Amino acid sequence: MKQKLTQAEKREQRWAYLMIAPTILGLLILNYYPLLDTIRLSFSKTQTFGKSTFNGIENYITMFSTPEFWKATLNTIWFCVLTVPVGMAVALLVALLLNAKVRFKSGFRAIYFLPMVVAPAAVAMVWRWMFNGQYGIINTILGRQVNWLTDPSTALIACAIVAIWSAVGYDAVLLLSGLQNISRTYYEAADIDGASKIRQFFSITLPMISPTLFVTLIMRMMASLKVYDLIYMMIDTSNPVLPDVQSLMYLFYREAFVAGNKGYAAAICMWTILLIGLVTIIQFIGQKKWVNYDV
Amino acid sequence: MRKIASILALVLVAALAFSFTGCGSKSSDGTITMQIWDTAQRDGMQALADAYHEINPDVTVEIQVTSWDEYWTKLEAAATSNTLPDVFWMHTNYILQYADNGMLADLSGLYDEEDPNFYTSHYSEVSLSNAQGSDGKIYGVPKDKDTVGLVYNKEMFDAAGVAYPDSTWTWDDLVSASAAIYEATGKYGYMAYADDQLGYWNFVYQNGGYILNEDKTAAGFDQPATIEAMKFYIGLQDNEWCPDQVYFAETAPGNAFFSGQGAMFLEGDWNIMSEMKNYPDMQGKWDVAVLPACPNPASGDGRATISNGLCYATSANNQNNETVLDFLRFLGSEEGQRIQGESGAAIPAYIGLEDTWVSAFDQFDYDLNVEAFIEMFDYSVQSVNDKSRPNWKSKITDELLKIYGGTVDIDTGLANMNTIINDAIAEAAA
Repeated sequence: MKQKLTQAEKREQRWAYLMIAPTILGLLILNYYPLLDTIRLSFSKTQTFGKSTFNGIENYITMFSTPEFWKATLNTIWFCVLTVPVGMAVALLVALLLNAKVRFKSGFRAIYFLPMVVAPAAVAMVWRWMFNGQYGIINTILGRQVNWLTDPSTALIACAIVAIWSAVGYDAVLLLSGLQNISRTYYEAADIDGASKIRQFFSITLPMISPTLFVTLIMRMMASLKVYDLIYMMIDTSNPVLPDVQSLMYLFYREAFVAGNKGYAAAICMWTILLIGLVTIIQFIGQKKWVNYDV
Repeated sequence: MRKIASILALVLVAALAFSFTGCGSKSSDGTITMQIWDTAQRDGMQALADAYHEINPDVTVEIQVTSWDEYWTKLEAAATSNTLPDVFWMHTNYILQYADNGMLADLSGLYDEEDPNFYTSHYSEVSLSNAQGSDGKIYGVPKDKDTVGLVYNKEMFDAAGVAYPDSTWTWDDLVSASAAIYEATGKYGYMAYADDQLGYWNFVYQNGGYILNEDKTAAGFDQPATIEAMKFYIGLQDNEWCPDQVYFAETAPGNAFFSGQGAMFLEGDWNIMSEMKNYPDMQGKWDVAVLPACPNPASGDGRATISNGLCYATSANNQNNETVLDFLRFLGSEEGQRIQGESGAAIPAYIGLEDTWVSAFDQFDYDLNVEAFIEMFDYSVQSVNDKSRPNWKSKITDELLKIYGGTVDIDTGLANMNTIINDAIAEAAA
């Protein structure tokens, strides 16, 4: 039922609108307008310098009939599969260790968080040297000759390793905050009941941090479906393995800014949004089974 | 009181909204911005800016450098939103696209007052064609001209007992010297990799083939002479003395050369000055020669090198902006070109000033044979370009990499390349 607002409430409402106006304006101009324009572009044939003409679903037809596009979609999903489960598991492990009673705890926390602070480009350059097939330290340690970044079967794995390494610290800090919200009393009660540490982890820790875990998982999933900068830095356009590692966003970049094919690129963009949306919806349905909001 | 506060808030909101639209404003207070993509030439451009400021104290030129890839992304965005920098470098790859779409000011009459034939009397035909739009008008003041030469490691030639490359060299000498060096030193010979201007283009034109026909209406990857040269060039990687494309994906040929991994590679003159400075330990151990010729070309005398040239351009909006035009006039004048040459950045496009660039190398104890780059102008070929080049450039590279990677065989790959270019030409004409 709608209630009439008093004069004071109305005035307050006016103020509220005024106060959120800058943010809303920013969102409208910087986020929603580009989104709408991308949708429009995806149905247009574009030429250089912003000229475009409507051409129906032409871009989508071309896109769905291009093997390169399907390969990029598969690469993106494969990258997601490679990074998310392992990344989450490692992040959880790190969070548990950081939550334990160890010396120099804050020192360790800083060390694990450090990759987040370093510029992604610098990270990629250092890892590129480490992965280098001829002079790289990784091959020296392994005592083998693996062309990490130029062999189609290992290039994406190498990128995934770097992605996990860069993201673990951030995810771990998020999970750590979840862990620290769990009351000590649960563990004390479990101890008295004689539950083992492993039992305690699965029966107390995991359910209690599942909301945090869920949020982290969604964020990581989205980030890995949108991966672009890392692969761009690690794999040069002169690298023959490019088709085997190229993600959707990399393909988007090359079509839009290198080949100047903005309409087609916008269609790729729409497809990626759809993909991310789909994965997120599935997760939201799936979370009912394992995320625990009671307490 | 409340009223004042709400007015204040409104003003703030308005200011914020305005700031979103206000970022395109341009300065016209005697500051000229000049955008370039080559860090190695920043000092040279700064010298020009300083010299101009000396003559015109109320005009200051500000140099902005961005990387090659970013440059074109930014410039296109700027052109679309009408916020192009006052003066910017233009490249053969892109000039037709920009000029034909009306983005650039027509500079044909820039020197009419002093000499109506200024351009033709001071700039070569190749230089001017690199600065022209499809309509034949001049859209950029020629800046420099370049050629591609053969850089070689003298120590490796000595170790293998092979004579240094000279003007009598052919492809056969290139191959046999490479094999001999690999045999004697275990180092790579000529490093042939997937590149157009610093790679296969030279070989195609030496063999009498072409990438685009003369009136730029069709691709030449179906021509026997082109196919033959492409097969020779790509086939070089089958030799054990040449690294494969996987190697070059991680190590640029220049890096391989200057770290003593290989004996030869093709290099443009614009990189020589910075390579002399960046590798002081290598000074005296390497030299430059003219490109080897094709021993049995389908047509021509077997000699060719790709010659490109940049120009300085300005936005069509500045067609009547005398401040900017006067600076451009200075850049193309004998003095402007001389300053550029003496900085060692690039060979001035201005005829007769080539030696200023050569003399810039006098600062080194070791006398590099940079004259080789000048000699080659006699038989140089204009860098391949047409209006649709930005659209086919990256696709051709992708296809070439597929051939190198073995996912398509060379005949199919070349046929695909031909189709890619022809399609792009047809689309640009439509």
